[in-house]
Amino acid sequence: MRIKVRGTGLTKFGELWDKSLSDLAQQASLEAIADAGLEKNQIEAVFVANMIYGKLTGQDHLGALVASSLDITGGSVRVEAACASGGLAVHLAIQSLLSGTYQNVLVVGAEKMTDASPAAISSALMGAGSEAERRAGLTFPALYALMAKAHMQKFGTTRSHLASVSVKNHYHASMNKKAQFPFEVTMEKVLESPIISSPFTLFDASPITDGAGAVVLSSDFSTPGVYISGSAVATDTVDLAKRKSLTELAATKQASQQALKMAGVQISDIKVAEVHDCFTIAEILAMEDLGFCEKGMGGEFVQKGHTRLGGKIPVNTSGGLKACGHPVGATGVKQIIEVTQQLQQKAGKRQVKGANIGLTHNVGGSGATVVVHILQT
Amino acid sequence: MSTPASIWRQHKKLHTYLNKAGQLIVWTKIFVAPVGFEHQTPYLVGIVQLEGERLPLQIVDCEEKDLKINQKVKIVIRKIGKAKSEDVIEYGLKVKPL
Repeated sequence: MRIKVRGTGLTKFGELWDKSLSDLAQQASLEAIADAGLEKNQIEAVFVANMIYGKLTGQDHLGALVASSLDITGGSVRVEAACASGGLAVHLAIQSLLSGTYQNVLVVGAEKMTDASPAAISSALMGAGSEAERRAGLTFPALYALMAKAHMQKFGTTRSHLASVSVKNHYHASMNKKAQFPFEVTMEKVLESPIISSPFTLFDASPITDGAGAVVLSSDFSTPGVYISGSAVATDTVDLAKRKSLTELAATKQASQQALKMAGVQISDIKVAEVHDCFTIAEILAMEDLGFCEKGMGGEFVQKGHTRLGGKIPVNTSGGLKACGHPVGATGVKQIIEVTQQLQQKAGKRQVKGANIGLTHNVGGSGATVVVHILQT
Repeated sequence: MSTPASIWRQHKKLHTYLNKAGQLIVWTKIFVAPVGFEHQTPYLVGIVQLEGERLPLQIVDCEEKDLKINQKVKIVIRKIGKAKSEDVIEYGLKVKPL
């Protein structure tokens, strides 16, 4: 399979009080269409990734809303799979190109979160969990905290292992002007910040973010460039308690193995990866479940610097969800943009030398949806 | 969102869990709560292994220091969250240490 990433566009991530959801989606989309060297009327379909805007504001029907704001009259659909909405929208856009129906489509992920109160956001995000989890008063930090506790009990993972994910991702974000938190933090700062759900402190968690990312995907190969060679989705139980194991995401294993096979590459061929670090434990689980290190060794793998820029396999060079920010519907699209820029050798100070094959890993809920993409030059 | 009908459906099943015992596999203490639970913070929630199923449940009537891994717990029925004055009051399962 070969689908070209023809153009990309990304807004600043952060608390963008002067921008609406439409403003953000438009800005990223117009940038991506211009970068693709296309006119708006050459975009045949629009895939809009968004998780919680309807719940927070009452505004649904985002497919037509976003497409019409761009004066595009082709088909448009809103895709929702919790925080994997962006990755799933890319996957579905690829299917529409592979079917031969379209040649050039736009995927735009956008989320406007900072208008709402923290309690309203916590409740809206829990739509990605189960009824039993909502009744137990669980939150997303708490669900991942349960996985962190289980990992600590089983493998001896420590608080400083967790914190090292946050420190590393802030270091990467310090080189990314689009990041919400483009500055470094110390290990002490992470460990001493207020507890949100034990064992997590505030700095173990990705923030509440406004932002949008867009890509133009194309089946037109008349010019060379970065292309997607593997795209796979896997699902699991929405309820964390119903999983066989609390210390792995089975859907990560299934989706990544399928995507790698589709691309005809091994995990050891990957030179750069954007993985779903919504909480620090999530990046440790991703390292293990994707196969970058052995099960149970993810904490040590990160703390030793193997995933830092200059290490064996630089992970989350954008700053990840933690420090670049996590506008939930946009995240999966942003991951594709970051890896594309790395493969184009356009990532500036955070460029991974010789990056020619990359991976994105986007998770919905506590692991109920996982989308993995492989990109190549 | 709980509605009177969904609460009624849920309430009909509660008695089948009464007095069941299980083990606490893992827990967390929550300081930032969703809507309807803010007044309870901080509170404990864990994953409980019952015979044949695992459930996410709040842990009540104890301090965190009283808990240990594989702690034996018993199901109790308690009020869930905080109902607005005109809402149906929802009851559900929680556990307390044995």
